[in-house]
Amino acid sequence: MRWIERCSELGRRFQMFFSRRERFDLEIEEEMRLHRDLRARALRDDGANSEDAGYAAQRRFGNTLRLREEIHQAWGWTWLDRLILDLRYACRRLRQSPGFTAVAALTLALGIGANTAVYSFMDALLLRSLPVPDPQSLVVLKWHMKNLDDQGPVGGRSVMHGMDGSTYDVPGLGLTGGIFPFPAFELLQKNSSPFSSLFAHYPARNLNVISKEQAEIDRGEYVSGEFFHGIGIPPAAGRLITLGDDRLEAPAVAVVSFAFSQRRFGGTSNAPGQTILVNNVPVEVVGVVPAQFFGVDPAASPDLYLPVHANVLLESASPAGFKPEQYLDQNTYWLEIMARLRPGVSMAQAQAALAPRFHQWMENTAANDQERANLPALVLQEGAGGLDALRRKYSRPLYVLLTLVGLILAIACANIANLQLAHATGRRREMALRLSVGASRLRLVRQLLTESVLLAALGGALGVLVAIWGIRFLTLLLASGQANFALHAELNWHVLGVAVALSLLTGVVFGLFPALQSTPVDVVPALKEIRAGESRSRYRVSLSHVLVVSQIGLSLLMLVAASLFVRTLANLQAIELGINRENLLLFELNARQVGHRDPEISSFYETLQKRFSAVPGARSVSLSHNALIADGESGAPVVVPGKSNDERTRFLNVGPGFFSTMQIPISLGREINEHDQPGSPAVVVVNELFAKVNFGNENPLGYRLTFGGGGLASREMEIIGVTAMAHYGDLKNDVPPVVYIPYNQSPFAPREMTYALRTAGDPLAVVKTIRDIVHQADARIPVINIRSQVAAIDQGMGQEIMFAKLCTVFAILALVIACVGLYGTMSYNVARRTSEIGIRMALGAQRSGVVWMVLREVFLLATLGLAIGLPAAFATSRLIKSFLFAMKPNDPLALTSAVATLLGAALLAGYAPARSASRVDPIVALRHE
Amino acid sequence: MSRDEIPPGTLYMLILRVLARSGELHGYEIAKSIELLSQDVLQVEEGSLYPALQRMLIKGWVKAEWGATAENRRARYYRLTPAGRRQLEQEISQFERVMGAITRVIQTA
Repeated sequence: MRWIERCSELGRRFQMFFSRRERFDLEIEEEMRLHRDLRARALRDDGANSEDAGYAAQRRFGNTLRLREEIHQAWGWTWLDRLILDLRYACRRLRQSPGFTAVAALTLALGIGANTAVYSFMDALLLRSLPVPDPQSLVVLKWHMKNLDDQGPVGGRSVMHGMDGSTYDVPGLGLTGGIFPFPAFELLQKNSSPFSSLFAHYPARNLNVISKEQAEIDRGEYVSGEFFHGIGIPPAAGRLITLGDDRLEAPAVAVVSFAFSQRRFGGTSNAPGQTILVNNVPVEVVGVVPAQFFGVDPAASPDLYLPVHANVLLESASPAGFKPEQYLDQNTYWLEIMARLRPGVSMAQAQAALAPRFHQWMENTAANDQERANLPALVLQEGAGGLDALRRKYSRPLYVLLTLVGLILAIACANIANLQLAHATGRRREMALRLSVGASRLRLVRQLLTESVLLAALGGALGVLVAIWGIRFLTLLLASGQANFALHAELNWHVLGVAVALSLLTGVVFGLFPALQSTPVDVVPALKEIRAGESRSRYRVSLSHVLVVSQIGLSLLMLVAASLFVRTLANLQAIELGINRENLLLFELNARQVGHRDPEISSFYETLQKRFSAVPGARSVSLSHNALIADGESGAPVVVPGKSNDERTRFLNVGPGFFSTMQIPISLGREINEHDQPGSPAVVVVNELFAKVNFGNENPLGYRLTFGGGGLASREMEIIGVTAMAHYGDLKNDVPPVVYIPYNQSPFAPREMTYALRTAGDPLAVVKTIRDIVHQADARIPVINIRSQVAAIDQGMGQEIMFAKLCTVFAILALVIACVGLYGTMSYNVARRTSEIGIRMALGAQRSGVVWMVLREVFLLATLGLAIGLPAAFATSRLIKSFLFAMKPNDPLALTSAVATLLGAALLAGYAPARSASRVDPIVALRHE
Repeated sequence: MSRDEIPPGTLYMLILRVLARSGELHGYEIAKSIELLSQDVLQVEEGSLYPALQRMLIKGWVKAEWGATAENRRARYYRLTPAGRRQLEQEISQFERVMGAITRVIQTA
């Protein structure tokens, strides 16, 4: 209640101030006049003469001017009056030195803008909730278990015998996963009393969707029958998936995204009742989700929602696809689970209630004591923001960015404070004069602060423009070529609030010290100073030096970070790939999804390969299951008789001519060619590491190995060739032992295939021809993921490229700002010491001696900055260790180059003032005195 | 007959009281009413009435409206608001408490 009264009070004050100020004064005047007149008449009536009565009434009334002032003060207008006065004064001061104002406002704009832009991503990533009712009651179910070294979770030592999905390591908690066997979901459903609903889902990655004869690849999400009820959204049209749809025998239905219904059917209301082909299976569209709903994973945004059990229909075409038996399998992990807490139940309570039951169930799934010793333990996580894949991926890079832009802003503030300080010293006499004629110190400080805050506000306003541009730029950098980048930042009220707060804060930070400095406590010495600006105070000198030194220290941090990131990128780019990356086009297609089956599918892929090789501009064409680099890798047991299976071994299904197309040299034997057919003897090519691990210095050609097995299909194959080492999988990992298998002989029959096409010129020039050829061969197959090999590699290094680019820009910015600060301080010092230098030169000092005298001071400041910056760099560079590749955080070369750059820049900035010092004419300087 | 300045802090209460009694009054009438009701013992420092009235406007205890006097001169008439009425009760009870206490001290001495 009290603050409501306060607010309406404030409202009345402002309303009166802005709307009726002049009339207000007139009315008060009129009211008082009436009073005096009436009083005078009363006195006259009592017998006084009219003149005396007037004066007496006046006397009794009191001083009208003083009363009016009192009324103004009561309304709080004195304060407002002063503010307006201060603002006018500040505007005038800023206009008087347009150069300073422009530099200061622009530096601040960059600082505030960069911070706002990065913060807007934090806001989008960490603070945004799912667009569903009561998101706070949603939880995500996960488990933790001990991480068994680097062998990966699948293996004989944990209850997780197989998985489809991902797990990740959390330092201190161990291996974490959000995937469960289907029977575990059924168990939790039976024990779901802490929840008002429990529902499951899992991503259906790439689905082939054909509607109205037009094929495209879309993302899908399998959802359990309880999903939409639990999420709590209404359909935008038709109905959503219900329990009845999520059964093995149920007819296949789908709910589509708002965007899909617009794109494919021209409107939400047209969608229900349409039949589409999904992976060659007819599916009826029954409804549309609301436009703002993007699923539960901010990284995914599926176009299609299908019942979980529809996966049997849609995914079983592939030999490695989904089998109905998996619904009974207690050791294969694939289903993701979320729940909504019952009102009044906390997450901890729910977890405590379910964990023992879950543990008990888990114990029964263990096959031996070793598995029983490390069971997954159930944990609940907040689900208001949906799944956390995006947060896990981007929160750390964003924190690093936030630190960097924070440093930039700090340097900018220090710089402006320094410039203000020089200004302020020049105004000490003016201030002393004003103090001596009765102005209060507080009043003067307030006036100077108004100036700083106004400057900061100007910077902040420009900063918002910088932020708009910065958000676009950052989106581009963070996405690094991904077409479906899901992190969308925007300027909302939170973000603008942060920009405003930052502006005010910086204004006060860089304004307060100079303001206190320029308003002398002791007026007399300040007035005695001969000329404005010729302060004898040692204090000012040291404060401005402290600011310069700290700027240099902070710039060093930025420079070290920049050189670490640039060297990391250089290291990545220098990786010996073992292939020729130039003029190579990669693209993907999946014939199995639309109904091609063994053995016809192999000849289909082969025919396409032949047609592609006839494209004008194509030199050679081949294909493989995944692209060789940065596109995932496959592992399976590979046993050479007499040797144990090396778990590092990876395999890749490839087509004929793969090695000559990629330009991987064959060191022994031959490569896989078009004569290796399903019917011919099974062959493999291995890389040199595989040969060395298994055969030492012996010639491996002619040896046989067993590929697969251990519950999977297997085949015996003969080694017919050894290749040079070429990178496979993640660029940052060492090349593993690799076995290359003809895809048409592989026990794991191919699904999607990635073609690699070597061209004579620009690889992207042939894209249209490629699409036409595939369309002719089978119109139901879209070509996706078309990119050049160079772009694919760059995308794999997206984060490193972003850090290297941004950090270099930031470091240069920091360096320039710090050098401007250094230059300003030194110029000011030289100007202040003109007469001293004049005397020195009159007494015979050499010009070079004067130059050296100034440079020595610059050097001293720079060294001090380094002395502070280097330990800080040592301490903090460990924080970005995980972002570095093939180098230590305290890389000597990176540190040396940062120090050298800084010293060079500092001397350059100091040279101009030094030179002008050496040009001082002794006569002029001395006459000045 | 000598006149006394009104005790500090009681001006609001007196203004509120006469407004509560008479409904709408302009400034001079308020001053006059206080004098009359106190049988000419209390004398308002007349000018100070106006800053006080403005403060009461800010607090929202009174409302002001322009009207005409009997002689047809423009005058600003003040009127109590519900908040002003509550304030009056509060001030009176507080005043009585304090006065009671002071009286007791004086009488026991």
